[in-house]
Order: sequence, then structure tokens, then C-alpha cells
Amino acid sequence: MAILCDKNSKVMVQGITGGAGKFHTERMLAYGTNIVGGVTPGKGGQVVAERPVFDTVYECVQATGADVSVIFLPAKFVKEAAIEAIRAGIKFVVVIPEHIPIHDMLYVREEAVKYGTTVIGGNTAGLITPGEANLGIMPDIAFQPGRVGTVSRSGSITYYVADTLTRTGYGETSCIGLGGDPVLGSTFAEILMKFEEDEKTKAVVMCGEIGGVYEELACEVIPKMKTHVLAMIGGLYAPPGKRMGHAGAIVEGKMGTAQDKLNMLANAGAHPCKTFLDIPDTLKKLGV
Amino acid sequence: MRLYEFEGKELFKKFKIPVMEARVASTPDEVYKAVSEMNIPVVLKSQVLTGGRGKAGGIKFAEGANEARTVAEELLKLEIKGYPVEKILIEPKVAIKQEYYLGVTIDRAKYKLVIIASGDGGVDIEETAEKNPDKIVKKEVSINEDLYTFDALLLAKQMGIPQELAKEGAAIIVRLLTMFKKYDAKLAEINPLVLTADGQLIAADARVSLDDDATFRHPDLADLNVEHRHEEGEMTPREKQATEWGIPYLDLDGNIGMFPGGAGFGIMGNDFVHHFGGKPANFMDSGGGPSPERIAKMLVLLDENPNVKAIFGARFGGISRCDDFAKGVLIFLNEHGLSKPMVFRMTGNMWQEGVRIFEEAKKENPAMFEHIEFHGIETPIEEIAKRAVELAEEAGA
Repeated sequence: MAILCDKNSKVMVQGITGGAGKFHTERMLAYGTNIVGGVTPGKGGQVVAERPVFDTVYECVQATGADVSVIFLPAKFVKEAAIEAIRAGIKFVVVIPEHIPIHDMLYVREEAVKYGTTVIGGNTAGLITPGEANLGIMPDIAFQPGRVGTVSRSGSITYYVADTLTRTGYGETSCIGLGGDPVLGSTFAEILMKFEEDEKTKAVVMCGEIGGVYEELACEVIPKMKTHVLAMIGGLYAPPGKRMGHAGAIVEGKMGTAQDKLNMLANAGAHPCKTFLDIPDTLKKLGV
Repeated sequence: MRLYEFEGKELFKKFKIPVMEARVASTPDEVYKAVSEMNIPVVLKSQVLTGGRGKAGGIKFAEGANEARTVAEELLKLEIKGYPVEKILIEPKVAIKQEYYLGVTIDRAKYKLVIIASGDGGVDIEETAEKNPDKIVKKEVSINEDLYTFDALLLAKQMGIPQELAKEGAAIIVRLLTMFKKYDAKLAEINPLVLTADGQLIAADARVSLDDDATFRHPDLADLNVEHRHEEGEMTPREKQATEWGIPYLDLDGNIGMFPGGAGFGIMGNDFVHHFGGKPANFMDSGGGPSPERIAKMLVLLDENPNVKAIFGARFGGISRCDDFAKGVLIFLNEHGLSKPMVFRMTGNMWQEGVRIFEEAKKENPAMFEHIEFHGIETPIEEIAKRAVELAEEAGA
């Protein structure tokens, strides 16, 4: 079991003919991801990594039955590409590029809610369901099939958490990068609820950071969950008011210091962790 | 990107939001000249990219040109929360009957634009929200919908604008929202929106912040003389250097040079160093998929920082590939050289290639790697952080 994408998902790549698109399509295929085609407007009819290229998402979906899309395009094209995918019936959209204009993400979110589509990113490393599908840019060396889910704002944190879970034998069900941009396609709360519905996921590690509001929103769903939630927050020692890290990671007024977030999450029933090595210790105590 | 008040008001004018006839000056002589020409009592407002300038003495009145010159001399010496006053906005002094608050911002939790209005203007809206929440009215708007005039009219009435000016108030609300959407704003505030003694609604202040990631589609900002800028206050020389090289970098007060991967671990790596008893000398973010040249420059910043006693490196290759990382480290070692002990861990995409690059270079020139301790995926990153703290202690002793 997994969330959002598994070995049966039919994956397409928007921007498949570009440098990064082509490089990572080949990597994703090498991992065993079921990539069925790609889209680059004006390049329909070409072939990349032995997969057909189409001009529009609609044509790609008609010909291949694609239901998941990974976007590798410059930030300014993301709004149109994501809305195109959503309207063509894609159910899960992964926005890899960073610095997506905030208003563009608001438009994408409106469409996603209307069509019941899940969008992650911008500035996400993607999603990996170990042994089944790798969407995005995650390095497969860190991952191994198992029983813990992860969701993080940051790519590198996802790798370190998975690397720790893999080394200590827990392994992962699915690992999701929420994204580092200020306005994201999905919230922690939404992804946590998807893990809650997944029978194989026995615990979820969520990693947030200073700034923004998405960690606070998670506190509304954690008390309702049967699945254990472990929480880490980056920036416990970050100087206030300084822009450290992701564009979204600046402390706005009284909102969003790392310690406040960690306290709120702990009060909601999450198990706080300070280093990656605290994660296996906590899982052991919880009997996962 | 936060705009100066005078820039914000230029945008207001473009959208027919009423502002006063104003002048901008940057020397006492320019102020003298402007006020002589205006020939009325004026208010002189320091232009800084921070709030609270009134309390800091950044807003003064003057009856005539001579007084204005003296006041300007004082204002131009001021530094408000780290921002030196370099420009002064000169506006006619008007009698005010009532002050309102009007703002548009983004509610990131709900993914909506929010119009916030209050009859209690001129003060910190967050304070009002906390102490007198019933004095604030809010209206959520989807980005893909327009605001109806009847909604705006109701808001205008709710904020206490008198009946005879309510239509004008509603028009200002609609125009502010239109401007917000047109220019990819993150915040657009009129605080206060004033009702003058002679019955006019005027935007007396402008606080506008635009999305840096969307300025590419607003080339016309240059026509309004809005230059792209960084929002932070004073930068240290190293922060300036890093900014020129396009590297997000902050000086901190510790002695461990932080050479992490992306922003996420950039933040958490600093926490780990603290956790194991050390103190980072900096925050740094390589950005997604850095070139070898950028990696080399990151190391130059750390090696040339006299506060740095040891360097902590971490690379988990995702979109940033380990082969590029290794090439960057080699460029640095060959062209600059390492004068401090460094411990780092490298794994992730293309790690085998990265290791091969290091091993070949080490075979050729072992001395170059004398101060480097290198680890792969088998060592937990916590061990690397601990070791960096030890190395800094040894070097400091």
C-alpha cells in the first residue's frame, strides 16, 4: 500500500523534452516508475526515453490513460501546466520547480479543489513509494519499502529521515515533499489524513520549519488520527526576523517560530523529535 | 519586495486611489526648494522599509521652507530600526476628521485573498485584531473572482465611512483589490485611509509588498522607478558578497562554517550543531541544483571568514548532484585551497561518481585533502555535526 502513487499509477512528465525533464525521466524509469508519456507543447510526435511526447495533456491522457503528472518546467509556466493537467483529469500533480508566483498557486489551488486533484509543491523533491514509483528528484539510495510514511517541507530533510528509517530497518510506505515555496498545493493536514487511510502506514514523520501556517493547521487533524505522528521542526535556533532558508521560512510577526510549532504539535498529540536519531528511538517506544 | 511609501502611492495613483500631491526629496536643499514651491504647511515623512517610524521620530511637520530644511537635516541623520533615512516624502498638512484602516493580504491557510477593514485606522492592525476583534471586518475573495460593488459598499459602511462617501469608499476597496491582483502583491495596506475635514477620502500612507517571484511579469515597475531590492536591513560585507554571487547567506555569531545542501537542511543542520554544543558561524543555502562554480564560491565565503574554525559539510544529492558537488569542491581546493579543517558527508544522486572524482584527485595530490574528513551514507549526519563541533573546539583551543 502507498498513498497517491504506486506501481500501477500511470505517470506522465510535463516538460519531458527539457534538460532536467529528460534526465529525471530516465532516472524515474530506471527506478521502475510506470512512466507512460510526456508533454511539451509543440513537440508532439517526438520520443523521449522510448516514451511518446504529446502537445497537450488531454492528448496524452487519451492515448496513455495517465493519471499522475510530474512537472519539470520553468516557474512561469507552472500555472498553466498544472491547470491543464487538473482539467484533463490528472488526479495527482507534482510541481518540482521553485519560486512559483504566489497568485499562480492560488489559481492552481482553486482548480485542484474544484476537480478533487491533489497537488504538491512548488519546490518539492516529489514523492517516492519505495520499490514502486519515484516521482521527482529524490535519490533512491535513501529509501526502502517499509511501514513509516514521511511528509516534509524540504527535500534534503526527506532524504535524511528516510535514510535513518532505512538504516534502522523501519523502511517507508510513501515519502512526500510538501514543498518549500510560500504557498503550497497541499497542506500537512491533507497529507496526514491520506496516511491515516493507508493500512500499511503505522506511523508518519512530519518535518516542518519556521514560518508559514501549514504546521499549525496539522494540529487540527492529529488528535483525530490513529496513526502515530512524529514531528520535527527546523529552525529552533534561527534568529527571528531573518530570512533563513525557503522563501516561506520567515517568521511573520508572532506566527510560526519553530518552538511554538513544536509545542503546538506536541499538545495535539504528536511526538516531538530533535534529531533524526530520535525518530527510531521514538518508534521503538511506540511499538511500531 | 516591499515598496517605499512614495512608490506604493505611485501605484495607487495608477489605479485612481486618491493620494495627496506630493514631492520626494533626498537633501535638505531639495526639501527647501520643494516646500518653497508648494508654499503651504507640510508634513515630512521619512521613507524607510519598516514600520513604527512615527514613534521613532521619522514624521515631522513644518510651516514653511526654512523650517522644513532644518527638519530635513535632522530626519536625514536618522536611522530607524537599522534603516538609514535617505529620502523624504513631502505632503500638504491636512486637517483629519477620521482615520480608517484598509488592507488586502493572502490567507495562506485558506488559499484566499482577504480584505481587512476597520474604522480604527492609524494604529497597528494586529494590535486592534487582538484587543478589539469586533472593530475589524474581513471579506474573503477567491483569486479567480471579482469583488462585487455591493460587497465593497457593505464593507465601506461596516468600516464606518459616512453614507455620502460610501460609494467612493467602495470604489477605493475595489481598486485596491484590482491593484493587488494586477501586481502580484502579498500585502497592500492603506493605514490610515483618512477622511479630511473638507470631506475627502485620501490614502495617507501606503504599505505595499510584491511577490519577488512574480516581478518578471511587471517590467513597468521600472517606469515607476521601483528598483528591485532586498527586504532585509543592513547586510554585512560577506552577506553582500554572497548576495552578489546569488547565494542565500547570513552571518551568525558562532565558529562553525555551515556548508549544507538545500534550505531545509540548511536550517536543521544549524539546529543540530547547537544540539551538540556548537555554534554556527552562518546560514547558507546552495539552492536547487547548484553549479560546481557556485559550490566553490560557497566554500570561499567560509574559508575567508576569520570566525570560522571548522567547516561542516553535508550533501544529499537530489536535484543537486554529487558529481557537481565534488567538482565544485575540487575547483575550490585547486584555485583557493582550504585553510581550515572540514568534515563532510556526501550521498544521494550520482554519489558513486562524486566519490570517484574525489578518489582520483586525492591519488594525484594527497596533500590537498589533508584537512578533510570524508563520509558516505554509512555515517549518520548527527556524527558529522558532532565531529564538526569537536574540530572547532580543537582549533579554538
